[in-house]
Amino acid sequence: MRYHALSDVRVVDLTHFIAGPYATKLLADMGADVVKVEPPWGDGGRKLGPHRAGDKDRGALFAFLNLNKRGVTLNLKHDRGRELLAGLLDGADLLIENFAPGTLAALGLAPAGLIAKFPRLSIVSISNFGQDGPERDGKLNDLVLFARGGWTFPVGERDREPLTPPGSLAQYVGALYGAVAATQALAARDLGLGHGQHIDVSILEATVATMIYETVTFQYTGMLRSRQGKRFAVGPFLIVTLKCKDGYAGLHCVTDKQFEGLCDLMGRRELASDPRFNTALNRMLNSDALLEIVEAFFIGRERNWLYREGQRRAIPLVPIPSVAEVLEWEQTRARNYFETIDDPVLGTIRVPGTPFRLTSHRGEASRPAPQLGEHNREIFGGRLGLSDSAIGALAKAGTI
Amino acid sequence: MKTVFDGKVRVLDISMGWAGPLAGQMFAEMGAEVIKVEDTHHFDWWRGSLSMAPPEMQPIERSAVFNTANRGKRGVTLDLASPRGIEILKRLVKLSDILVENFSPGVMDRLGLGYESVSAINPRLIMISMPSFGSDGPERNARGYGNTVEAMAGVTGLTGYHDGSGQRYTLSNALGDPIGGLHGVFALMVAMRERQRTGRGQLIELAQVESLIPFVADGILEYQFTGKVPAARGNRHREHSPHGIYRCAGDDNWIALACETDDQWRSLACALGLERLAADQRFAGASARKANEDALDAELSRAIAQLNADDCVARLHEAGVLAAPVNPAPAVMGDPQLRSREYFVAIDRAVVGTHLYPGAVARIPDTPLRADAPAPMLGEHNRQVFAGLLGMTDDEIAELERSGVIGSSPRQYRAES
Repeated sequence: MRYHALSDVRVVDLTHFIAGPYATKLLADMGADVVKVEPPWGDGGRKLGPHRAGDKDRGALFAFLNLNKRGVTLNLKHDRGRELLAGLLDGADLLIENFAPGTLAALGLAPAGLIAKFPRLSIVSISNFGQDGPERDGKLNDLVLFARGGWTFPVGERDREPLTPPGSLAQYVGALYGAVAATQALAARDLGLGHGQHIDVSILEATVATMIYETVTFQYTGMLRSRQGKRFAVGPFLIVTLKCKDGYAGLHCVTDKQFEGLCDLMGRRELASDPRFNTALNRMLNSDALLEIVEAFFIGRERNWLYREGQRRAIPLVPIPSVAEVLEWEQTRARNYFETIDDPVLGTIRVPGTPFRLTSHRGEASRPAPQLGEHNREIFGGRLGLSDSAIGALAKAGTI
Repeated sequence: MKTVFDGKVRVLDISMGWAGPLAGQMFAEMGAEVIKVEDTHHFDWWRGSLSMAPPEMQPIERSAVFNTANRGKRGVTLDLASPRGIEILKRLVKLSDILVENFSPGVMDRLGLGYESVSAINPRLIMISMPSFGSDGPERNARGYGNTVEAMAGVTGLTGYHDGSGQRYTLSNALGDPIGGLHGVFALMVAMRERQRTGRGQLIELAQVESLIPFVADGILEYQFTGKVPAARGNRHREHSPHGIYRCAGDDNWIALACETDDQWRSLACALGLERLAADQRFAGASARKANEDALDAELSRAIAQLNADDCVARLHEAGVLAAPVNPAPAVMGDPQLRSREYFVAIDRAVVGTHLYPGAVARIPDTPLRADAPAPMLGEHNRQVFAGLLGMTDDEIAELERSGVIGSSPRQYRAES
């Protein structure tokens, strides 16, 4: 869905792969005018899987991450390419990029120079390690980022290797901080400063910021959380994924009331006053014994029965769904959460909707992600006033 | 130096846990005045349980997570079950730009604080509600917290070892919470900007699960193309190999490494003295390595188990391979890159003393974010806010304390309910 809350914001989008494109997607979903600038050979993210059988050139993730943007191509190594970029930056509010640090400067597009030339422009740079520091130029991916940032060490079986989070979550976390930073730059410019700034967002720092359990709790308690298998941690709570008859269920039992509800669910109300379990502290001290009782109960029940009966007792207990079940979940269906996109290459796909809803106005249907250079004529002709023959010459020269 | 909001924006934060409080905390970083409202009975559950230590130890002031997620806020108490408490809250609503809440659906209406009511008091108010699964739909009343939201978004179902042994695991940080909170900040910033143009506030509805599902979009799309539920990949990658976590010498020491090109693979083999593997046909080319990944992992595991983790990472970095130690907390705090950028900030907080906390992420040079102010004690700023902002007299405040509408100690020493 596409709102128009940010319809007065112009964004030049030099991002690629995931972290940058999700940041600019958030802005585009809110109505910002996002022009995605790719090299003539395309954003490497166009090829990321998953793919529809037989089509390797348009990955489905690209089709999702670039909804609601318009796309042009520019070779920034060409003088004329940089001139056209300057044309796009004239009047823009934001330039967002996630190149390796130093790349813009090497192209003769150093952020300080751009801001001097376009004082209302802010630049948001999203990178693995940030724009300075001894390892600024190091390489990272999600596996390595999460290991380094502390997410991985406490997950998995005690006697096995720690387990990394699935997918590319770190890229999305970095993207989110980048999108927030973009709005912060706009607010600072409009409410006081009057001019733009160059903002530095490190994905490593974003992962550490979202992992406060490890760093802060360790200092407070001196205790290190180790891998606890099915348990989130051993503490004054029972947060655990439990095997049941037909899959797994997730239980989040923290308060006395939730624990009383759990005892009732298991038909063991006497456990609530059992001296081993009658306070949060005692439940922590006797965590193994408690887990054994709960496990034995869950293994004989079905996920949806546990969900229904648990929730009836106000216990946060859920059936752990597959992504297929998330897509078909009656709750996401009732709320029309997933959006159906008619992609020009992939055909009909269902994609996650906006992450929140504005109620000030109705959103419109999303526009599909651009094909490579799809809006060259519209942007270079319409916005920059180039003639058809000039655009043709640029294409011939490999600039667009 | 000035902050983004320079004290000109006021946020009323009546949320608990992490998602809502994180949104409030990030506004405090931007220089907004953030007033955190708690109830002496039902104080923020992230403060923990009163049963954890005797009263004189002030256990609810010793929560690492509460003290992180509420930095820079002013803390007041109000009994929201009493008409007086609600009346005072409404006076604060009138003076605020933003109201953050993450109660279960329906609670705000029951308190007389539904959007219609607060908007009638202050049409410029932007209110964000952050229910776990949405304010409508058949499952709106289901209870969820960070981990259960993570599960319902499909993340937990994808988290397991590649060999199918073991089970499904919840991640280490209740992912639904910070992701809901961060999207909440973004949503509020968007609504602030829209208000600049329209002059009107609005209600934002953020179903936490819906803000996390986009993070597993690739799995959701893969299922649509293949008709099959994607398997948990563990530490492995869809295409690249090696891509995993390997044990090093010592007790519970591990490194993560990944090769994304053939060149990296050859460099890795040479860096670890495994030249014979670089020449091994089973591992020549990405698809061969992927097809023989179990054998490859076995070879690497044997070699790496003998090595010191830091030495091994240093060698791999020199060889241009992606690598890092699997850091427990103290190593994260000591990370050379984070230290060089002075990422962590020291804060002296009453009751617990000085510790390092994660700093603000975005580096905004002329209007820097401020993450270095402590979280409030329960009711710490009652006088400052009720006298300073609402103009109450000392007598009025004393009377509110006597009648239990406000307070600065938990009302009863009993386990949290």
